[in-house]
Amino acid sequence: MLRRALCLLLLLLALPALAHKASDSYLVLDVQGREVTGQWDIALRDIDFALGLDADGDGGITWGEVRARHAEIAAWALGRLALRRGGECRLAVADHLIDSHSDGSYAVLRLAGSCPSAGGELALDYSLLFELDALHRGLLRLGLDGSTQTAVLSPQRAEQRFAAGEVSRLAQFGQYLVEGIWHIWIGFDHILFLLSLLLPAVLVHEARRWRGVAHFRQALTEVLWVVTAFTVAHSITLSLAALGLVALPSRLVESAIAASVVLAAANNLKPLVERRRWMVAFGFGLIHGFGFASVLVELGLPRETLVLSLLGFNLGVETGQLAIVAAFLPLAYALRGTGFYRRLVFVGGSLATLAIALLWFVERAFDLKLISG
Amino acid sequence: MAFSELTCFRSFRLIVLPLAVAALAASALAAPRKPLTDSELLERLPLRAGDGSARELATLRAGMLAAPGAPGPAALLAQAYFDLAMARGDPRYVGYAEAVIARFGEPQAASLRVVRGLLRQYRHDFGGALDDFAAALALDPGFAAAHAWRAAIFLVQADYAAAQQECAALQDLGRATLFGGCSGLVQAYSGHLDAGYRTLQQALATTDDPGNRLWLLTRLGEVAAWRGQPALAESHYRAALALGRDDGYLLAAWGDFLLDQNRPAEVLVALAGWESADNLLLRLAEAAAALRRPEAVRLAQALGERFAAAGLRGDTTHRAEEARYRLRLRGDAGAALRLAAENYRVQREPRDARILLEAALAAGDAAAAQPARDWLAASGFEDARLRRLGQELVLVGRRAASPGGAGR
Repeated sequence: MLRRALCLLLLLLALPALAHKASDSYLVLDVQGREVTGQWDIALRDIDFALGLDADGDGGITWGEVRARHAEIAAWALGRLALRRGGECRLAVADHLIDSHSDGSYAVLRLAGSCPSAGGELALDYSLLFELDALHRGLLRLGLDGSTQTAVLSPQRAEQRFAAGEVSRLAQFGQYLVEGIWHIWIGFDHILFLLSLLLPAVLVHEARRWRGVAHFRQALTEVLWVVTAFTVAHSITLSLAALGLVALPSRLVESAIAASVVLAAANNLKPLVERRRWMVAFGFGLIHGFGFASVLVELGLPRETLVLSLLGFNLGVETGQLAIVAAFLPLAYALRGTGFYRRLVFVGGSLATLAIALLWFVERAFDLKLISG
Repeated sequence: MAFSELTCFRSFRLIVLPLAVAALAASALAAPRKPLTDSELLERLPLRAGDGSARELATLRAGMLAAPGAPGPAALLAQAYFDLAMARGDPRYVGYAEAVIARFGEPQAASLRVVRGLLRQYRHDFGGALDDFAAALALDPGFAAAHAWRAAIFLVQADYAAAQQECAALQDLGRATLFGGCSGLVQAYSGHLDAGYRTLQQALATTDDPGNRLWLLTRLGEVAAWRGQPALAESHYRAALALGRDDGYLLAAWGDFLLDQNRPAEVLVALAGWESADNLLLRLAEAAAALRRPEAVRLAQALGERFAAAGLRGDTTHRAEEARYRLRLRGDAGAALRLAAENYRVQREPRDARILLEAALAAGDAAAAQPARDWLAASGFEDARLRRLGQELVLVGRRAASPGGAGR
């Protein structure tokens, strides 16, 4: 018997010990217009202190003991949380679940409800447990019309107001702008496509030979045409796809993007299109737009600021592109007359691009893993 | 013996494996779930209804509810919650105590003012706490505990003259034990370890109260260790532990002593089962790291999560411990120095000076530890380890100041 007790003790020691921490509840709310959804995690130990959950007094709380009190728990908690948007919002507990945090098990209340008004500021009044535990805090993460804010709710700051004003829209715009820039920087296929079209911009093909352009203006005009055409094209398809008006299978899109890089690089080595590269940029730009859209879909577009976010992301992509052009063009123009540029950068670079893009194409089209993850 | 170990191990494995798998699965799928059976145990409460302390709390709660407006029963209940928090290192009880006191707004009874002072000093609101204790003394000049707590706060703030005045007040009230504890610590902190040790010992001889003895024995252990007498210190700590009372401060001091004596294996035994208290988890994590135990990673990570959780609440009372965590377990001297310096603006006990000196030394930034070095010079604190740290920092400071050494 003693041995069994010892074994049990060892067993208890082997399980992870729970933290002693001051009481927190975790309140996640998402308010989109009138509609409210959310989740509220409240420690079982705290509910027990307020309502007494341990019906059989054995020092343990079972699911049965919690389940029997669900209605009471919901009424107790909702009576201590008030939301106002153009008037009192109605809240209800849609489901009761259980989760674990560092200091033990929590009751999870799934919340749903609606507010009288779809706009304007949101006021939140929180008083859970304050009358019993003055160190209790509500840790709030609030999504208000797509912008996320956090707050610590305490007896001193029990009522707080959140504005869905201009600042948050600007922040939203900025966030998607940065995402756009970031995406072009990490999207090697887009960069390589653009560079393949830009490499010959400082050269002219005459009598089966490449030589440098005479004037910077000549190169700049070519670059502007190419970049503008690419931009216009991918903006069109990006918007169409992000708004859900057109949808293409991602494997097809990704394969076509790889194919566009292959063709652009190949055109440098054996020119078929020389004069009107902007048309190539436009045609393939349509495909690349679908690629950008898949990122945006993953990010999730907030409904309230849909157009603004889309514009931000698009401008971000353009900014990233312009940064590449600004770095590339002066350097290429300065080196255009050298054999280094014409042979190593132009021919060598196009060859390397061709090889990489071919590999991408095979990987994506046939769903293989060759080199890239 | 060998056989019993074997059978134990077998049954142990039989139970542990499925449970470990279940625990792993639960942690991997840490998402809200719906338990499958009503009998599933979700939470173990810290107190069972029939426990001694649970019964005592229930009685005190009933007493308060019977006379909701009376300060006496409320102060008793709040004090009981606070004592439980200190014993178990569980801050939820501090919140309960605060809520009991908060019902009175600006309390007019000495007993309530003293408990509110305790809660304020726990939150490091030392100014507010000093006010509360002073207000309690104005209402009841014989309230010795208020003088004792004021002295403790002045010691933390390194204001030894003010602390000594509180000690004198305790002597005037004829409280020999509290007076001895108070003045012994003032002596020890202000450069007279030997005299402080003797005074504390005399105070110990005046009391049979286990709570007072535990506190005095713990402080005697600390002073003996500062004097460079580890065997003597150990005997005091062991005598305090032998009283058999849960005390977070004692366990932390004992753990630090063992770590300083390079005996980390004993820390793991002494503090086993205390992972739930943050300050003891820190000592356990340091010991496991020193022994290169496999659980060291898990303990350090758990501690990091606790500090992150406290940060979410805006809680800054753990900065001294967090500085130790950054320095000794994460090797991040810069962050440790920042935390230790912020802590030292609020708390200036020897252990606060020590982590500031250690972090400054590791970061090679002698100037950042100037307040602690000033304190060492002004107080004449005699601990050899702190003096050595201070001297090493002087060298760092000189190297940085010399023309060729600025880049080092």
